[in-house]
Amino acid sequence: MPSRKGRVLRATFGCNPNSSSLGVDVTFLLFGATFAGALALLLGALLRRPRVP
Amino acid sequence: MKLEVVRARAERFGGIVEVARPRALLHVDRQMMRELGQPESPLWDSPAEPDAPLVAPTEVHVVLSRRCSAGCRGCYVDATPHGAALSLEEACRILDELAAMGVFHVALGGGEALELDHLFEVAAHARKVGITPNLTTSGLGLTQDLAERSRVFGQINVSVDGVGEAYRRARGFDGFSRAERALRFLRAVKKEVGVNCVVSRTSFDGLSDVARLVRRLRLNELELLRFKPVGRGARVDEELTPDQARRIYPLARRLMLRHRIRVKLDCSFAPMVFWHRPSARAAAFWGVQGCVAGDVLAAVAPEGHLMGCSFAGPPEADARVPGAVRAAWPEGFSSFRGFIRSAPEPCASCEYLRLCRGGCRAVAGAHGEPSAPDPGCPRVQEWKARSPVDGEGRRPAGSFALPVVRG
Repeated sequence: MPSRKGRVLRATFGCNPNSSSLGVDVTFLLFGATFAGALALLLGALLRRPRVP
Repeated sequence: MKLEVVRARAERFGGIVEVARPRALLHVDRQMMRELGQPESPLWDSPAEPDAPLVAPTEVHVVLSRRCSAGCRGCYVDATPHGAALSLEEACRILDELAAMGVFHVALGGGEALELDHLFEVAAHARKVGITPNLTTSGLGLTQDLAERSRVFGQINVSVDGVGEAYRRARGFDGFSRAERALRFLRAVKKEVGVNCVVSRTSFDGLSDVARLVRRLRLNELELLRFKPVGRGARVDEELTPDQARRIYPLARRLMLRHRIRVKLDCSFAPMVFWHRPSARAAAFWGVQGCVAGDVLAAVAPEGHLMGCSFAGPPEADARVPGAVRAAWPEGFSSFRGFIRSAPEPCASCEYLRLCRGGCRAVAGAHGEPSAPDPGCPRVQEWKARSPVDGEGRRPAGSFALPVVRG
């Protein structure tokens, strides 16, 4: 049986310059759970991708 | 395209990896950490606890000083022209310790950080030890030369609480033209420039003008920060009305779509977002959370106090003492970390409790009880309206009805 692949659990983009933590990125929250799931797979694939010499 | 891992650190659930392009922090599971070639961690020997805090904050707000000549009427750090400040040596030593703990970002602020002679040396030191320094500034004293030197920072946000006359109404003086000039200077040298806007009862109706400014100057974000009644802010009556609290999230979405800009809401707005019942799975993936003080976030005050966030204590340690931050982190911050376990109603029965975490502790504290649910939460307000009050004016156990404590 093939071993389970690793997963991306959470993604936060950009940097927060503020005294209070970055709470809600409205831009991304507009997209639902399906989009988040698909992006998690894509980010995982891009992380694993071998470096091109 | 490959996402290059710049830094990584182990966590109980796996780890956090930082990638540079696009700039992001990714939480990954243990298996992914192994696939990325990260070393095995003893943290992975036992099952991950669902609500365990991170092994270190991902970002720390370093309040470099309470020194600022602007005198904004609602300043939450009560800054004055001669306020306390961390010395260069103290700030650098603290950064060394944060870097050793695996902190990824620091938010440098004040007071007005640009009024400190050693701001750029502190930022350069952060870079040297592998931490991304970000900056919040009023921009009032920013020159072209200072803008050029500001390339050292990651994200820079300039505080603009309104456009034109609205700026004066919000802050108590006319500084809009200088703030706008600062934005132009900064945008000329870098892309990661945005606007911080404190959303108060007064500034609420002017948010569309601020969004238009962000679009016109081609800035990369508008961050909406909830007004908190702390510092000098405790003496002004500017908290959002219940109606504004319900409207802020739909308004933020409209601003984003209409002006095609990135809009963020700070963590204290989480209850106002979750009241609209967004997808909990999506919210968890995008890191949408309420109070993350003493978990994702920590703060260091100019007096050296290590705190959960800049708005609320208590001090956990003197961050200027070598090793104090690392020693305080694992077991400290109980006033923040314990909320989920001991949440009173209506938070206890809220499906978003684990994400929202009871809203803002600083606002709850300003209303007299830091461990109470956030009184600005629409759900809390609805619950209070429904709950019976006994003959002595008390609500059932676990409830609250608290006056605002004005300093």
